[in-house]
Amino acid sequence: MPVNSDTVRQELRTFITDSFLVGDETTTFTDTDSFMRHGIIDSTGVLELIAFLEEKYGFAPEDDEMLPANLDSIDNLVNYIKRKTS
Amino acid sequence: MPGRYFAKSMRVEDLLRRVAAEAPHSRAAWYDGQELLYGELDKASDLLAEYLQKHLPPSARCAILCDNSLEYCVWFFGILKARMAVVPLDTSLSADSLATILTDCQAELLCAQLKFRRKLPLLLDNAISISAVITDSPLSYSSRTVSHITLNEIVGPIGSSSADAKHNSGMFRPLTLNDLGADRADDSLAAIFYTSGSTGAGKGVMLSHKNLVSNTIATVEYLKLTSADSVMVILPFYYIYGNSLLLTHVAAGGTCVIDNRFLYPEVVLDTMEQQEVTGFSGVPSNFQILLGNSTFTARKLAHLRYFTQAGGAMATETIRRLMKGFPSKEIYIMYGQTEASPRVSWLPPERLAEKIGSVGIPVPGVRVIVADESGNEVPGGETGEIVVDGDNVMIGYWNQPDENRAVLKDGMLHTGDLAKRDSDGYIYIVGRKKEIIKVGGNRVSVKEVEDCLLAHDKVLEATVIGVPDPLLGETVKAVVVLRPNMTADAKEFVLHCKQRLADFKVPKIISFVDALPKYQSGKVNKLQLKQEHSGQ
Repeated sequence: MPVNSDTVRQELRTFITDSFLVGDETTTFTDTDSFMRHGIIDSTGVLELIAFLEEKYGFAPEDDEMLPANLDSIDNLVNYIKRKTS
Repeated sequence: MPGRYFAKSMRVEDLLRRVAAEAPHSRAAWYDGQELLYGELDKASDLLAEYLQKHLPPSARCAILCDNSLEYCVWFFGILKARMAVVPLDTSLSADSLATILTDCQAELLCAQLKFRRKLPLLLDNAISISAVITDSPLSYSSRTVSHITLNEIVGPIGSSSADAKHNSGMFRPLTLNDLGADRADDSLAAIFYTSGSTGAGKGVMLSHKNLVSNTIATVEYLKLTSADSVMVILPFYYIYGNSLLLTHVAAGGTCVIDNRFLYPEVVLDTMEQQEVTGFSGVPSNFQILLGNSTFTARKLAHLRYFTQAGGAMATETIRRLMKGFPSKEIYIMYGQTEASPRVSWLPPERLAEKIGSVGIPVPGVRVIVADESGNEVPGGETGEIVVDGDNVMIGYWNQPDENRAVLKDGMLHTGDLAKRDSDGYIYIVGRKKEIIKVGGNRVSVKEVEDCLLAHDKVLEATVIGVPDPLLGETVKAVVVLRPNMTADAKEFVLHCKQRLADFKVPKIISFVDALPKYQSGKVNKLQLKQEHSGQ
């Protein structure tokens, strides 16, 4: 079933804030900011992000989909999730 | 003539000075489309050293909080040239843990990337020894008074655009241990690398110039590195194995090709091909990921000559898969410890098939004894502790006299690792004396995680064990007994630990039990726990 972009955007933001910015109320990031460059998600975090995608949206990235273009910002994730669930 | 670069006594920065004098236009490092030449690195680190000598007391401890980058290289060598000590910091640690380290070593300077800015306020408020901060970009911070300047203001722009692969000329001659001689290396403190101790508190491993230079040159020798070599650096420089990649390639006049995106393996594989690297170095989980979840073995990697692996035992099945995937590449299995600068042993690639499971033979210039409790060598085939004797053995732990007495005896390092030797003298690790879990190359102190769990209001008892993990080698599992009439779920404890510990230390599995199995002495029977919980 196609997903609603705004809903997905909010779900992702909540997950990232709750999981990786625990207790940090000062860090802000835009929908286009790279998680890596901004020090928001490290390698362990990516594994958690993948587990979240699997649990929430019912798919895990294929090996050749493990790319920053799919996973390294809110916008990239939203577009990727839309493609995978359409 | 190499001797003119270390007329008095050899120091780590002399490795850089030597190659910068002979091959200034060779590429020292490449990162994200930017290259740094040896001449540029030498000049920038000279300028930084000059600044530091004007503004900091002699022998100051200078910490670096920075991902692998061109800036890291300048900071590292600039601090050494100022005759101060480098304290590389694990960027994944919490601000609390970092402040504890800075306070422990009474660091005066913090060199930080702005991407870690959210750690800085708490860190600087708590680490009051810090009097100056240098960042890679302008920082707006208003708390207690610390002087602040950017690296750019001191040394100017670093690096220049260069997307293409480049191989340095192979003409530069790396030093050998014979060049170094018996008394030419400097005994003074070069760096303090913090590791998790078995007791929970971090331990600062003090390494001298002699430690690092001798181990670097030994490693260059057995890996047969030349200035034409370039290594794919995915391991952080703050980790002693990553530091070794930096130093060995500077010593050889080679290139460090940096890519910090190993979480996206295909991107790193692309970099390896584009930059035509000749070496790849990883810990077991790196190889597991590459072999299990990427196009690794389908890649040509035409320029790659060798792999090195250290940072914990790699499953023999993984080694076999690597051998099968890349039959024409050399595979070096290595063993070491931060306390040994780090390399202790290596397995010659031509003996790998025959000696699979072994960590090999001592590196050049190092003696290894497999010893009993009294320090006497045990007969071949019997288990004993690995004891290391050589110029690579650390000065000691910073401010830890009891720990030093426990591990340094007659100048020899008692590693806490248990091993056997076969009839050819090859070493096989069989276990550890100390309570440490190794998660993907990172050391996790059992006590530190247990203390964190016990600080939770709902916890009556908690213990932590390492359980097998196909990706990481081992992962942290917590077994928790709740206080009477309390309820809790695992997520609550994961969150609690995340707020206090580095991510890799947070238990991935949490089990709740009514009671822990114990010996008559009251100590937790971890052997029984491991048997009951190893299936997770």
